[in-house]
Amino acid sequence: MEHLTKETLARLVDERPNPEQREHLSSCTVCALELRGLRRQTEALGSLPDLRPPPGDWVGLEARLMSEGLVDGGSRSTGFGVLFRTGWMQAAAAVILFLGGTSFGAAMSGDLQAASDDTVDARVAGVPQSVEDAAEAVYSAEQAYQLALVQYGQIERRGRTRNYGELLGRAATLDALLAATQEAVRISPSDPFFNGLLVNTLAEREDMLRQISSTRDGGWF
Amino acid sequence: MTEAKLIRRACQGDGQAIRALYERYAPRVYAVVRRIAGDDDLAQDYAQEAWIRAIRALPTFRGDARFSTWLHRIAVNSALQALRKTETRQKREGPMPETIAVSPESSDVLLGDRLERALDQLPVRMRKVLILHDVEGYTHDEIGELLGVAPGTSKSQLFKARGKMRTLLQALTAPNGQEEVEAWSI
Repeated sequence: MEHLTKETLARLVDERPNPEQREHLSSCTVCALELRGLRRQTEALGSLPDLRPPPGDWVGLEARLMSEGLVDGGSRSTGFGVLFRTGWMQAAAAVILFLGGTSFGAAMSGDLQAASDDTVDARVAGVPQSVEDAAEAVYSAEQAYQLALVQYGQIERRGRTRNYGELLGRAATLDALLAATQEAVRISPSDPFFNGLLVNTLAEREDMLRQISSTRDGGWF
Repeated sequence: MTEAKLIRRACQGDGQAIRALYERYAPRVYAVVRRIAGDDDLAQDYAQEAWIRAIRALPTFRGDARFSTWLHRIAVNSALQALRKTETRQKREGPMPETIAVSPESSDVLLGDRLERALDQLPVRMRKVLILHDVEGYTHDEIGELLGVAPGTSKSQLFKARGKMRTLLQALTAPNGQEEVEAWSI
């Protein structure tokens, strides 16, 4: 006795068998079992559950929606969108990029002028795309800020020996910091940290300008 | 908030409304796209593309069909089109670690996993027809329209796919055949 082909059995999941096939199925256990298996397989396929998208799927989609202008930035309100709505992240990004770039690079290299020139345009160039990125950026900025403070202290201690180029470099860095903090305050006008930073930066910059103007060989005027 | 209101707001670019629609339908969209793609990485790209298309097309949604049906059709079309562009597909071997079923029945977990793995191993043309018919419930006429083939071709592919799927599932069961008996015998 010849068995029914798999394709024929698969067809019989949806269609009624003809008399010949029915007779065969009633006497052939192998084909009957195979048909049962195919029916169960089809039922099981129809009951497959939905699948949860991988983690981070929404973040990626949100970024694409933003880049394609399909989402109104002002109305984002979920995930890190809440932070965006308050402007905190944008403001933080401005300062983070500045601190992570200008201050860190300048403090480490000592070439304040070059560092500030290179990074000043990038200081508000973008924002972190995820909470993890933002946390990483904050951590890096914190480290950079601490290093910059140490370096600042060292520079301050040898203030009397500071040369004109060094003063100019520091002034340029302060200018860049001022621009970044002004942007941060513009985005988050009531944020005490950014306001404090702005006031301190303004004071420091004024002091620096006084030092430069008093430097005899500076040729400031 | 009602779905109609969410859709209206999403049309205007309201991120909160888009997120709400995503939360509601992402598992459904991801499931069909993932099965058509046969690959986790491709699936994520395809699903995002499907959502982008859907959000772009939202202003054309008139409410003649249910939103879920409309969105599902966009997801299927988008995935099929993307798959056509993907010339070669690397077959996945092994389990699907990044794909998690939504509230599966505990007794169905193993069976579901085997089905997903077998689906991934099906040739692309067979997989598309099998998923659209047996998983998603499309008719042969609809499948023919979606794939640009005659309904008869869809039928023929389906029967071949079912047979092939059966063979793949048998190969995925334990060598002593006990799982096979448990899973498929009645």
